[in-house]
Amino acid sequence: MTFFDYSDAPYPIRADIAAAHRDYWRTLARPGSWWTGAERVAIAAESRNAPTCRLCIARKRALSPDSVSGEHDSNGQLPNAVIDAVHRIVTDSSRLTKRYVEDNAAADLSKAAYVELVGIVVAVFSIDEFHRALGMELAPLPTPEPGPISRYRPARLSEDIGFVPTVPPHGAVGAEADLWPPGRTANVVRALTLVPDALRDWRALATAQYLSFAGMQNFVQDPARAINRMQMELVAGRVSAINECFY
Amino acid sequence: MLRVSAMTTDTEVDLQAINGDAESAAVGIEFGPELMRFAESVATGNAEALRRSRQALLDVAGPAVLVDAAGVAANFQRMVRIADAAGIPVDDMTTELGQQVRDELGISRFPSARNSIGG
Repeated sequence: MTFFDYSDAPYPIRADIAAAHRDYWRTLARPGSWWTGAERVAIAAESRNAPTCRLCIARKRALSPDSVSGEHDSNGQLPNAVIDAVHRIVTDSSRLTKRYVEDNAAADLSKAAYVELVGIVVAVFSIDEFHRALGMELAPLPTPEPGPISRYRPARLSEDIGFVPTVPPHGAVGAEADLWPPGRTANVVRALTLVPDALRDWRALATAQYLSFAGMQNFVQDPARAINRMQMELVAGRVSAINECFY
Repeated sequence: MLRVSAMTTDTEVDLQAINGDAESAAVGIEFGPELMRFAESVATGNAEALRRSRQALLDVAGPAVLVDAAGVAANFQRMVRIADAAGIPVDDMTTELGQQVRDELGISRFPSARNSIGG
């Protein structure tokens, strides 16, 4: 099956966007570091239930999300803690806490598995949002590929920021040498590096949907884009404000 | 980043566009109000508002601008969730420009501010 054939899209879609979406779908179907291909696709499918989940809507309206209990509208293919994490990341991410992540880790959703899950949810959500933004149907999910998980952990990790261990600024060496040029990173780049492939995936999608790391240094206009940097940052800033993202 | 790109191009902008003020979005940014409303409707997920804002942006700016704006909006729907789900703090809370922008936008009220300023 050919995914993301945008030839019948209502507007011309840049070829690099189509390629990035196709590449991610291939990655999604394969076994990851902590989730099998079947689990990764199940996480992706679950992320599509979150926007209309009645429990999530009620929690979003509540002063405290934990004051509302109940069951998520879900496919029921994943453990409850996993379903809950998927839904919260989509619908109420600004109220996630370190304690929530640590309680999950103590209860069987390890921090590494959580990071890979975050990477899957946000990548699929982003591709789906591109489709919704342009009034297009969501792409069918890929068929999972069999195979073992890698259980890969970077050699250098630190716990100096955030809820989860990350590769430190000078830790992009060895197998992680491609993550960023020596010493030149940012917290949002480090965020998912407990699972380095999660950063590689977000970087590839960002390069097509927004800008490459190198392109981000151009504050005027990328010649391959129809909108200039101020227009891009207006869109980015308004989306971030609606999501109440302080970062 | 909007402030930095405006400074780089020596353009006057009004940051209240980030808070949803359409008149502010028109200052210095071509198609600013239409881009702002499109971004807003993507982030809120309001289907009718999205249909209207998509058509409005298409009418004034054309399909290439619409598609690139959709890409950026979709990208930041992802980026905000990465930042919040990993609980990362702002890289440098001490820069004058950053403090100025945070004050102007009043974003310290956001729940995820605790990841950078405690509380």
